[in-house]
Amino acid sequence: MKDLPYDFWEPVIGLEIHIQLNTKTKLFSSAPNHFGDEPNTNISNTCTGQPGTLPLLNEEAVKKAVLFGLAIKGKIAKRSYFERKSYFYPDMPRNFQITQKDTPLINGGKITTIVNGKKKKFQINHAHLEDDAGMLKHFTTFTGIDFNRAGVPLIEIVSKPDLHSPEDAVSYTMAIRTLVRWLNISDGNMENGSLRVDANVSVRPKGSKILRGKTEIKNLNSFNFLKMALQAEIRRQIALYSENMDKEIVISGSYRWDVASKKTILMREKESVEDYRYFPEPDIMPLILSKDFIDTTKKNLPELPGERLSRYVKQYHLSLTQAFTLVNEKELATYFEQAVFYCSNPKSLYNWLFISKNLPSPQNMATLVNLLEDEKITSTTAKQILNEMLSFPEKTPDLILKENPQYLPINDNKIIEKIIEQTMQENLHIVEDYKKGIKKAFDCLMGQAMKLSQNRIPGQILRNLMLKKLKSMV
Amino acid sequence: MMYRLKAHELTSCFLKGTYSAIEITQYFLKRIKKIQPQVKAFLSILEERALTKAALLDKKRAEKKPLGKLAGVPIAIKDNMHIAGEITTCGSKMLSNYKAPFSSCVVKFLEEEDSIILGKTNIDEFAMGSSTEKSAFFPSFNPWDLKCSPGGSSGGSAAAIAAKLALLSTGTDTGGSTRQPAALCGVAGFKPTYGRVSRHGLVSLASSLDQIGPIAGCVKDIGLMMEVIGRPSKYDATTIHLPLESFTTNMFTSLKGKTLGVPWKFLENLKNATSKNFEEGVKILKDLQAKIIDVDLNILKYSVAVYYILLTAEASTNFARFDGIRYGLRSKNANTIDDVYDLSRKEGFGSEVKKRILLGSYVLSSGYKDAYYKKAQKVRQLIINAHEKAFQKCDFIIMSTAPASCFEIGAIQDPIEMYYQDLFTMGANLAGLPAISIPSGFDDKLRPFGLQIIGPRLHDVNVIKAGHLFETAIKFSPEIPPLFDKEFL
Repeated sequence: MKDLPYDFWEPVIGLEIHIQLNTKTKLFSSAPNHFGDEPNTNISNTCTGQPGTLPLLNEEAVKKAVLFGLAIKGKIAKRSYFERKSYFYPDMPRNFQITQKDTPLINGGKITTIVNGKKKKFQINHAHLEDDAGMLKHFTTFTGIDFNRAGVPLIEIVSKPDLHSPEDAVSYTMAIRTLVRWLNISDGNMENGSLRVDANVSVRPKGSKILRGKTEIKNLNSFNFLKMALQAEIRRQIALYSENMDKEIVISGSYRWDVASKKTILMREKESVEDYRYFPEPDIMPLILSKDFIDTTKKNLPELPGERLSRYVKQYHLSLTQAFTLVNEKELATYFEQAVFYCSNPKSLYNWLFISKNLPSPQNMATLVNLLEDEKITSTTAKQILNEMLSFPEKTPDLILKENPQYLPINDNKIIEKIIEQTMQENLHIVEDYKKGIKKAFDCLMGQAMKLSQNRIPGQILRNLMLKKLKSMV
Repeated sequence: MMYRLKAHELTSCFLKGTYSAIEITQYFLKRIKKIQPQVKAFLSILEERALTKAALLDKKRAEKKPLGKLAGVPIAIKDNMHIAGEITTCGSKMLSNYKAPFSSCVVKFLEEEDSIILGKTNIDEFAMGSSTEKSAFFPSFNPWDLKCSPGGSSGGSAAAIAAKLALLSTGTDTGGSTRQPAALCGVAGFKPTYGRVSRHGLVSLASSLDQIGPIAGCVKDIGLMMEVIGRPSKYDATTIHLPLESFTTNMFTSLKGKTLGVPWKFLENLKNATSKNFEEGVKILKDLQAKIIDVDLNILKYSVAVYYILLTAEASTNFARFDGIRYGLRSKNANTIDDVYDLSRKEGFGSEVKKRILLGSYVLSSGYKDAYYKKAQKVRQLIINAHEKAFQKCDFIIMSTAPASCFEIGAIQDPIEMYYQDLFTMGANLAGLPAISIPSGFDDKLRPFGLQIIGPRLHDVNVIKAGHLFETAIKFSPEIPPLFDKEFL
């Protein structure tokens, strides 16, 4: 972006995120809510819009939406109602979506996240419940419709235009994914469409408070695409404004991200946006939530990612970024918490989470880190033991050490001194270099000695003895 | 003379062994076949289904197994309610091939109580009309005067009861579609409190107004059917959860202590003959010791406007699902997805349906929604309030059911005039109230009139009991259209 006066511009971004709730059944029917099955197997008469069927609101979906609302500290509407949003599309069985427009279930709220190592808060405008559409599958001579997804409960989370960079957007989205996973209300899987992002974006001169014509980029289904699409769109808008000073040159409308050309492409202009003819859904009674229900749900809130993050920093002395990484990976965080119970050094444990793709049992991992921290093994040996544990999950680090005495560190100074001597004899020219004052020579000798000992000498001890020996020679 | 029996009488005859279910079924099927060409009450006759059910009932009776409340009663179902495996046309070409994948709650309840379904009755297309002339297939005819319409939209169901082709039938009442045809055909018709009867399996016209109700030859039969269908259902979120009530015991013997409100001002434009018949009805009620007072329901003069805005708004979206994609008529001339929508709906829907979809889309569209839809909602609330205020002073409201007796087929061409057929009935739909129409005599051409009793929400039982008392007090003859008051063997 260096070719553009990027520094003079401020992007303004608002996100609309759709989250599929992981309820047993759909929002308005008893058909199973399950991804990845044969087309048109998880359907009922309601899901295909048969005449005579009526929508029945799924209480589990309401509970999960309320859980989300409470977690973001939004205001839960005690009375809300559903509305019909009319448009014709073949994947829409009734040709209207049942959604909430005038009375969203959740108003306000905020998402706290970490951007570039710093804590940031983003405001939510509102969030509401609605049902998903089916999916079209295009074949060479025809198009099929799969109604498995039709009627799956969604919460649509609409942020305020509070985000000012692609990094903000990614981090905000990640925080929402993390939140819904910790709340166990969605798997938050972007690949399967459980989490879908539409981004509204405009740019304005830095310091300005006006909102200029915005574009909407639809259906960004990975963090990478979200970032790339926003970068491209921001660039495009800045370029347009830079070339056409003082003109409202950006065409408001819906765009899509084209992966191949790495460009945002206009799908339809705002002028042609349909009139959805919203009105209250007469087949569903207004949703009335008692204070009791809301209070009970509040009590059942699990530890939230934000609280968890603070705790990791405070209790385990992890950095903000480390804690954020962990919190964002629910499974890893759960593993970490199980392991840290047995472990004396959480920071070291954290690092060991990323050494290999697979992980041994949390307790074994903790033991391994403890052995390393107590200098009972070297880090190289620790890696060998880790590999062995992954191959033989039943073996504990202690057992592996017992079976492999060669993994034990060499602690006997006499043996170490012998190894040092042998190293020097085999590398006389390096010793000479050292004597000439070439600093690299010392590291080189250290490396050779380690190699000779099969990495079994604790580094600090080797260093001290090597220095001592070299000094005695000068 | 089986056709002269009431449903509750026939079921005791069946239980006693006077008739077998097969005899009853064959008798009525024969009667239908003989009379159908003249009255055209039915869209389909479910002979096999009926005979199978009858055989089952006879077997049950022979084995002394318990039998349902409506055992052996021949019944007709309006063709906008599903019977699993049978075609539900809604009187429309759009659904002429639509086989229902499940039974409506009402049909399920009726079958569980051992009634025998004989067939499905004619209807204005998607229940949009007051004469059955808007049926995509053919109009039905009024058994009292075959030149005339039986009213609508449940015209087939009302004509079937009048001509004694079945002893009970179901109607649906969105603006008067059960009560008006009942009145025009000289039978009883009831619209329950909104939410009293499950709409599951009823093809919706206007969800916030639709209510299924019974049509029968007497009020006691109406009560009997309400005891069967007036149950909450977990498949309809708008049903009311009430304990079961008896509609057929502890009947009223007088109206002493009851106050009846008459909106005289609102009724002042009633035509002479209708007005005279209504006043006679009021006198009978007075003789039953009711106190008659005047109530102000002038706001109902706006009900036609309000009704046609709200109804068309809801209907325009309810009918969006008829798109030719998943079921129903798909145009053979369609080449693109837009063709499928445009041509299927063009070929599948009749003119009245199209008109109302257009009107409904218009009143909801941006820029007009506030002026039409939202304003109509406000007036609907005022109509509800006016009724509540009236019911602070009286127990029931009394009105004529229809503005006049039945009219000749084709006589009403002005759509607005047709809409005014329901002027006195749609108030109960807009306010969600229970209302019954009971036969109240004839005009000089022997065309029937109906008197309407409206009660407060949830007072269905009392409305039916008051109707029953009125029915026993009023004396007129004949009870059955002379043309059909005979055996067709």
